[in-house]
Amino acid sequence: MSDGLTHAAWTDAVRDGRLLGGSCGQCDTTVGTPKAACPHCGARDLETVDLPTEGVVYTETTINVPPEGIEERGYQVAIVDLGDARLLGRVDGETVGVGDDVALSGYTEDEQGYTAPRFEAV
Amino acid sequence: MARAAVVGAGMTKFGVHDTPLQELFGEAAFDALDDAGIGPSDVEALYFGNAMSGQAENETHLGPKVASYVGMAGIPVQRFEDACATSANAFKNAVAAVEAGVHDVVVVGGVERCTPETGKDTDEMTRIFASASHRQYEQPAGLTFPGVFALLTKRHMHEYGTTEEQLAHVAVKNHGNGALNPRAHFGKETTVEEALDGPVVADPFRLMDCCPFSDGASALVVTSEAYADSYDAPVDVAGVGHATDVVPIADKTTPHVTQAARDAAGEAYEQAGTGADEMDFAEVHDCFTGAEILASEALGLVADGEGGPAAEEGRTARDGDVPINPSGGLKAKGHPIGATGAAQIVELVEHLRGEAGERQIPDAERAVAHNLGGDAATTVVSVMEAHR
Repeated sequence: MSDGLTHAAWTDAVRDGRLLGGSCGQCDTTVGTPKAACPHCGARDLETVDLPTEGVVYTETTINVPPEGIEERGYQVAIVDLGDARLLGRVDGETVGVGDDVALSGYTEDEQGYTAPRFEAV
Repeated sequence: MARAAVVGAGMTKFGVHDTPLQELFGEAAFDALDDAGIGPSDVEALYFGNAMSGQAENETHLGPKVASYVGMAGIPVQRFEDACATSANAFKNAVAAVEAGVHDVVVVGGVERCTPETGKDTDEMTRIFASASHRQYEQPAGLTFPGVFALLTKRHMHEYGTTEEQLAHVAVKNHGNGALNPRAHFGKETTVEEALDGPVVADPFRLMDCCPFSDGASALVVTSEAYADSYDAPVDVAGVGHATDVVPIADKTTPHVTQAARDAAGEAYEQAGTGADEMDFAEVHDCFTGAEILASEALGLVADGEGGPAAEEGRTARDGDVPINPSGGLKAKGHPIGATGAAQIVELVEHLRGEAGERQIPDAERAVAHNLGGDAATTVVSVMEAHR
């Protein structure tokens, strides 16, 4: 049975500088965000695991036309390969490209208190 | 054996409309009913698509509202929402219903308004569109929909060397096709130089890589195979596949392969007893130029990694070996979210009847439509054939 990684626990971890994911006990899947069951095999015994806080940029884009609620333009968003899982976040500081090494550098929060991890080049 | 037949097809011009949703849908619905030669009292059910009117126009429970406007109140109406794949999913369910004998004659279609006529500006509508990305694990980072497809396309560029110039060729082709389509949002050709000179929205996408915000509606009359021959111009529905993938993007196994499209295409081709090689043309979901390249590969129209070169070499032009988006696609025809999937079927119907005018694919016998929703985590693929 899943030990139940929740959005709240995942968010608390991001705020503490940790990244939590779910590792499937039945197949090789590890996901970077909470799931009640493995998206690939359906098994419910997902174990909450600490993901590495350093990884490699899998893909990225710089967004110049933001949604309502975000004032800045030209911010970068990346999906980071953390080894067993991938995770999306903002990128601080210098612009990074696919294959570049990055590390967790903090988090950003929207007006409803939902958080996204921030990464920066290392 | 066909699963069903489309016997009437209609749509509004896509573009900017200052009319309410029910009036827009009514125009498309009457167009389809007139094409089929039937009236509202002949219709047994309405399969209706609208994605965002609750957010964009404070308008929900649209089913009976639009049915009332077109003289169909009383019949069952079901509303579908699957982001940009909304009305293809309605179509899938309409086909299943007539095939199963639940109803003999149904109308399926969709309507949406996305332009500032809704009262929503670009930043507000960008936020509403972004509601299709994951609320907890994508939206807080400021991800937008150009951003979603930029992430998929950037990885494809890394894997295969796809270039910004190849993306521009998709835009040029689709604007050229749209210029021949009187119902297209954009009726003007463009050039690779102009496309590459536009402002960046979310790199690698510049303005001309992105479809517009559009208003519009589309509608189809669908009947069972048994009744197809009692109409003047039936077109066969040979197969409809529908699949989903994991959300958010980061949890997908290989985001740029758009696995749901591959699974849906496999299902549709299998039902139709055909394959990608047999398609005379395709209408694909080019919300962004990169999305057309990913779709051309996922549908098997070109080999993996060849989507960019195929666009650049003209293979996907109307006179190429794998014509894609003769309508102009979402890029030029426009993209009123909930109307897009059924409008792709309208385009297939017109070509398969030989009635597509200047943009007609000569002697088209079989074609495929690809309509995706969200980050491609919903995809519906439909194969249609000229009636035999």
